[in-house]
Amino acid sequence: MKKIHKPKKVFMQGPISPQFVADAIAKHQSKVSIGAHAIFLGQIRADEKEEGIVTGIEYSAYEEMAEQSFHEIREDAFSKFDLTCLHIYHSLGIVPAGEISLFVFVSSAHRRAAFEASEYIVDEIKNKVPIFGKELVGPTGSYVWKENK
Amino acid sequence: MGINILYFGMLAEITGQANEIWTIKDGLTVGDLKKLILERYPKMRDKKFKVAVDQQIGDDQTFVSIQSEVALLPPFAGG
Repeated sequence: MKKIHKPKKVFMQGPISPQFVADAIAKHQSKVSIGAHAIFLGQIRADEKEEGIVTGIEYSAYEEMAEQSFHEIREDAFSKFDLTCLHIYHSLGIVPAGEISLFVFVSSAHRRAAFEASEYIVDEIKNKVPIFGKELVGPTGSYVWKENK
Repeated sequence: MGINILYFGMLAEITGQANEIWTIKDGLTVGDLKKLILERYPKMRDKKFKVAVDQQIGDDQTFVSIQSEVALLPPFAGG
């Protein structure tokens, strides 16, 4: 029987703290069928642009559609890979350079499924979820709209 | 009654608003609607964007019902 996964809250206001990631790991210690976790963390780069150095990214989203896209990506990942657990968190609002804006946490019995699923999920998020980002540059409040490659 | 058009990111900057209600005639496609939007906002002509109808990405042939929610989505930047 196919397991139904409830839509989960993905968006968080501001950066995702290292403590939040640590707490997420700790919560899985009781799930002893898990043998492998793969964690992907997206961090804001201080890229150098013509307008200046990137100091952070301000994220916005078409939230209703984005939540639905995240849900579909989760369902696809569960059907493609043999996973025990899957959590996705993404920032909205300003995330300063050096801080975390994306946290993908995949757990499975064995490593291969976790590795493969995490790459698949991150690619899907970048391609399919309507999230928009302003790269804030320099001290004067100027910005450049970001575009995923 | 009309369609609710949502603008995001740089497109909302061009329109100066996050959404607006348009009354359209029945039977329009996304392609038809895009033409009307570009007429009203010529600055969008050189911008890349996708159009979602009721939260599904459509193409120029996608039908827009007179009560649809239509969203103009600039390039994605998640991650």
